[in-house]
Amino acid sequence: MKNPHVLLLSVSLPTPSSETIFVCGLPFGAIEAIKAAYGNLVQILDPPRDGFNLTLKINLSKLPANQEQKHAFLVKVASIREVVLGAPLRVILEHLAARTVAPDLDPLVALVHRPNESFFLFPQADKVTVVYPMRFNDSIDIVLATSFLQEFVEARRTAGLNNTPPCSWSLTPPLELKEVPAANAGFVTFVIFPRHVEGQKLDRTVWNLSTFHAYVSYHVKCSEGFMHTRMRRRVESLIQALNRAKPDVENSKKTSYNRSFKRLSLKDSRTNSFS
Amino acid sequence: MASTLRLYLTCIRNTLEAAMCLQNFPCQEVERHNKPEVELKTSPELLLNPVLICRNEAEKCLIETSINSLRISLKVKQADELENILTKKFLRFLSMRAEAFQVLRRKPVQGYDISFLITNYHCEEMQKHKLIDFIVQFMESKMMFLFAFSTTFPTFKVATFTDLLTLIKR
Repeated sequence: MKNPHVLLLSVSLPTPSSETIFVCGLPFGAIEAIKAAYGNLVQILDPPRDGFNLTLKINLSKLPANQEQKHAFLVKVASIREVVLGAPLRVILEHLAARTVAPDLDPLVALVHRPNESFFLFPQADKVTVVYPMRFNDSIDIVLATSFLQEFVEARRTAGLNNTPPCSWSLTPPLELKEVPAANAGFVTFVIFPRHVEGQKLDRTVWNLSTFHAYVSYHVKCSEGFMHTRMRRRVESLIQALNRAKPDVENSKKTSYNRSFKRLSLKDSRTNSFS
Repeated sequence: MASTLRLYLTCIRNTLEAAMCLQNFPCQEVERHNKPEVELKTSPELLLNPVLICRNEAEKCLIETSINSLRISLKVKQADELENILTKKFLRFLSMRAEAFQVLRRKPVQGYDISFLITNYHCEEMQKHKLIDFIVQFMESKMMFLFAFSTTFPTFKVATFTDLLTLIKR
């Protein structure tokens, strides 16, 4: 019989690209991240359900009584994908906060964020460089995203954004990524310093970095929607302008009813003719 | 920039006022048919010399006139890929709604971005000066649409990305 207090949550992760390493079907540090995020409310089932990378057993009877805490926990459960995929990033950034480099780590770390697509990290003791190859399928998306990202780099020059992570965009990959295939919307590079991951900023930074591609895609689609709205409005105003060119039908009808015609005699009609 | 646009549009307006003297004229080739001669071009005596008005190399307007019809073809400046896409999208959007516009030609003349075909029937149905106003307003609004979108687009981008950056700033 099904237990109403137990919920099974299965997660399927994007197919990792060739350069990404998964341990037992999960990114490194994922198990520890789940335990740290959910504590004893969540149990990891081994093996997971068929076709999934991870299955969690959530005990709903252990949920906190406080409404706000309960909501916060459920939001955390809803963001399980980010917790799992962002786990390696969190490990690297935690070491950055301590100004160390995680042991047994390659100089180039590839993290999956979309099917067969990765973003790359270059961990160092004093900084972590994050590189995103931006790839889009639609030609319009490519142009909009390219324009977006160029503006994004410029945005950092705005007053009040001096302490944000340095950011750059280029069509060619950085020297460290020679082997990586070209990205049609270029490469975005962030440099994260220890000050960006201190204390409570770590969670926010992990979230922003792990969802960056989705964030850009969202705004590209928003700008397309914005463009369509503008076009519809413009078409409506143009049709109104064209309709103004047509004489008022009601007025013309009135004048035709009120008009009286005087029958001309044969003599008058001859004088009035153009012949 | 604005002054050259004003001169360009004024020149087009004046040319249209001179050219839009259309009358009903039955087809000389096919009996009981009435076709826009500017499209058929079967009788050279019914055609006037086409007028090409250029603002610059990338922006021009071709006005072709005949006894019973007038064809206006416009080419819009596309400075970069973004403007190119905006122009294509907007003009395709308009072409799909050619029925609503009546005077809009579904397929532009080769080498131009959009074309209008005005016949004597349109001149009978609509007031000439207001029809010219519409064409000029259309050109203004098209340029304004492209300008407005390509200028609001970066600020929209900066606004959306600024919040991402400020989240992780010190």
